[in-house]
Amino acid sequence: MVTIDLAKIPVREANELIRQHGAEGQDVEVINPDARHHIGVGLTSAINVKIRGSAGYFCAGLTDEAHFEVDNNVGWGLGDNMYSGSVVVGGNAGAIAGVAIRGADLVIRGNMGSRAGQVMKAGTLCCAGNANFMAGYMMYGGRIIILGDSGERVGEDMAGGEIYVGGDVQSLGSDAQVVDVDGPELDEIRAFLDRYQLKFKGTFKKVANAGKKLRYATSERQVRSIPFFTFSGETDYWNAKVQEDLYIKAQIGRYRIRGYGGARELPHLSDLAFKKDLSQSGHEPDPVSKVNMYTEIGGINGATPLKLSMPVMIAPMSYGALSRATKQAVGMASSLSGIAENTGEGGMSDAQRDAAEQLIFQCLGGRLGWNIHDMKRANGLEIYISQGAKPGFGGQLMAKKVTKELAEIRGIPAGIDLRSPSRHPDILGADDLVIKVEEFREATGYKLPVSVKLGAGRVRDDMKIAVKDGFDFVELDGMQGSTGAGGAEVMEYVGIPTVAAIMEALDALEEIGVRDKIQIVLMGGIRDGIDAAKALCLGPDAIAFGTSTIIAGGCIACMQCHVGQCVTGIATQDPEHEKRYQPAIEAQNIHRFLESVRWQIATVTHALGYTDVKQLNRDDLVALTPEVAAITRLPYEPGYRDRHLELKAKVG
Amino acid sequence: MCGIAGIMYKGERDGLHAAQALIDMLDGCQHRGPDSTGFALYGQATKGELKLRFFVGQGDEAVAAVARIQETLAQHHATIIEDEHIGDNYRVVVEFGGDVQEFAYAMEHAAKVISIGESLDIVKDVGGAHEVDERYAVHKFTGTHGLGHVRLATESDVKPEAAHPFWATGFADIAIVHNGQITNYWKMRRRLEQRDFEFRTDNDSELIAVYLADKLSQGIALKEALRTSIDDLDGTFSFLVSTKDEIGYAKDRLAVKPMIMYENDDLIAVASEEVSLNRLFPGQALNTKEPPPGSYNTWSRST
Repeated sequence: MVTIDLAKIPVREANELIRQHGAEGQDVEVINPDARHHIGVGLTSAINVKIRGSAGYFCAGLTDEAHFEVDNNVGWGLGDNMYSGSVVVGGNAGAIAGVAIRGADLVIRGNMGSRAGQVMKAGTLCCAGNANFMAGYMMYGGRIIILGDSGERVGEDMAGGEIYVGGDVQSLGSDAQVVDVDGPELDEIRAFLDRYQLKFKGTFKKVANAGKKLRYATSERQVRSIPFFTFSGETDYWNAKVQEDLYIKAQIGRYRIRGYGGARELPHLSDLAFKKDLSQSGHEPDPVSKVNMYTEIGGINGATPLKLSMPVMIAPMSYGALSRATKQAVGMASSLSGIAENTGEGGMSDAQRDAAEQLIFQCLGGRLGWNIHDMKRANGLEIYISQGAKPGFGGQLMAKKVTKELAEIRGIPAGIDLRSPSRHPDILGADDLVIKVEEFREATGYKLPVSVKLGAGRVRDDMKIAVKDGFDFVELDGMQGSTGAGGAEVMEYVGIPTVAAIMEALDALEEIGVRDKIQIVLMGGIRDGIDAAKALCLGPDAIAFGTSTIIAGGCIACMQCHVGQCVTGIATQDPEHEKRYQPAIEAQNIHRFLESVRWQIATVTHALGYTDVKQLNRDDLVALTPEVAAITRLPYEPGYRDRHLELKAKVG
Repeated sequence: MCGIAGIMYKGERDGLHAAQALIDMLDGCQHRGPDSTGFALYGQATKGELKLRFFVGQGDEAVAAVARIQETLAQHHATIIEDEHIGDNYRVVVEFGGDVQEFAYAMEHAAKVISIGESLDIVKDVGGAHEVDERYAVHKFTGTHGLGHVRLATESDVKPEAAHPFWATGFADIAIVHNGQITNYWKMRRRLEQRDFEFRTDNDSELIAVYLADKLSQGIALKEALRTSIDDLDGTFSFLVSTKDEIGYAKDRLAVKPMIMYENDDLIAVASEEVSLNRLFPGQALNTKEPPPGSYNTWSRST
């Protein structure tokens, strides 16, 4: 047993030592912990760690196989996301003990705080004292054993798993009910209690899901899709889209869900033009060789940056909304073009990891598929706060797509209409977020860039928080961003447009003088290299493509992504549909699209007289509409629209 | 978005440590709020005397502000006993026997008031606990209890006047530190403004302070005022309030914002995180308590 004294060295150094001793199979004792945060985070070796005193937030978080003993109390987020192993706490635990665990035994000899076991998937969380408010909140699986009283609203919106209460069930949460306990279950509980020398003589009440909210009561009728052009047109007041909407709402009695992007006309990059007349450009046969496009993202605070052959990335899109084959194709294309891919929600598949040379691993509130092992093999970590298509809302994955295989990766019951939590269990403010970001850095040895995905809402405040919380870069997603499934009205009416988002972001950073302290990747309805070049002129460090790559890879834009029967095999989990999708071929299509983007950005940059994409700037642009002029503070030059149309007519 | 701390020593003799204890506790949770740090300290009160502290800045700006302050003090028959210009503050002790609320509003119109009280003195500025201590010699304060706050500025700017603790504008000796967000802020503020209360900032913490001070001035006990605050205030909050002889807390029903407390024979300490409490007792495992959602309590000086 090696002793580590936290009165002498900081936690960061201590964690490195603990991991080193772990690799050697050496047990560790930590003295003078004094409730410091992140003790033991990121440990993946089967050693014993004894903490002589109290530990702070995320004690034993993001670990696998290790066994922890804490003599006294622990702070919030005990055992966050643990896979296997155990923690025994001699005193009390703060809020969200056992958050998002995927296995492991957690034993708390005292009381535990609110929302214990939130979004847990498997394993056992046992509290010998009393639990507090909303124990088992949104849990998907595993079991919670409470020897004392349950606290108010136990089992709030639990989707799966069991909660056994030895004391009083003070009140039941939404969609929870008390059910009978059978003999074998009790035997297992007794065995568990014996294993940890917990004495309990009473009987248990069992709380489980009541099944009223797991699925929407009436499914949406399948209809023939209206072509996007008609769908987005606003010429006819009571048009086909409005009528369809009313018919379906008359059936289901709630908001509708659909996939794909927004359909409303909004101020966008198409309302900007280049100030310089580029009609004579295009004569340079090899613009790519004339322009430096290499861009690094994520390295400004010392992490290993993503190395991009051009200032372009793939936007986060989930495995779940998209098929495994599609994620694989996008990953392959990202490698072929020398840029970075992003897992989106729902975990990292081996196929995707192998396909993408540079891969950002995204962490969402449900922690679906999130785990320490994939964190360690990622090239960047990203905390999703929201997305442009539906800022403030969680993901939606209809039952048809929640197959057995997908459910297993995510750690949830199969066949439910999955409404991912709209917020993180352990990020309830900018102050908690600081501690969360630090946890990720601790777990991965401060090597990986940590980014935040922000849907454009209150961009000004959010950007300031992002800088203060120490993120390396922001993926800023405007209202024109698409989604696999979202409330139809939300997609059309919530958020702010991409051009407005980047302006607010830059203004915010300028206000507090920190533009050089964070990088920005802008996304949300960027369609091609010309859009990309205009976007880059506005000031982000890079841009990202989502929907464009999906369309390049065969999407037919039917807007039925949420249904799960995608005929192209893209937005489906049905093997029969998925087998139509040929990842190797589609990867080439997506790659060729990305190369067209490279060519277009290079051509515009070269034609503007520059040799480096970083020279693109807002003085190169004018606004074609008063709205976009007001948003961007660029000169309003409607005359350029005529020139633009003239040029189009000539070329057309 | 921040960290909070509060301490009350039960015995008179240990009272000297309150300021130093708060510096240590806030240093322990500075990660929750690197932008600014503040202290609400309660020293010896002298009957008929008021302590006032203002933001005046430096140079010509400060000279002009101090002149306005002194003029307004004279208009309200407040006689200066002692004064000093320290950091960006002007601190003055006056002899005053009139209506405090009217006097306070007049002073507010003259300059940026940080606090007014017989016993209360608020020190707050940008920077960490040690920086603010260095600038204002916080550790030299003597007193039995007080509150502290570290702030991460989100919705308002990083300005010293947006730092916490907040004084209950118009009411002597009442201070508040708050972690969270009051979502029915404007509704509650308009209700109080209808009754001629004035607000100096758009910060929701000032609202809580004025809300509680209003109840206290109606003769309602602090504990009862905290109880009703949980019903009346909407949002996520953990806050601490202090008066000349009491400290109290309230926590919202959703238990979104952290709070942890420790009590022994000598003291009561409350903080956002146990790591702050442990700063007072290095190397010891403490028997702490996390207050449940929707709870409130007060402690008063036994003397």
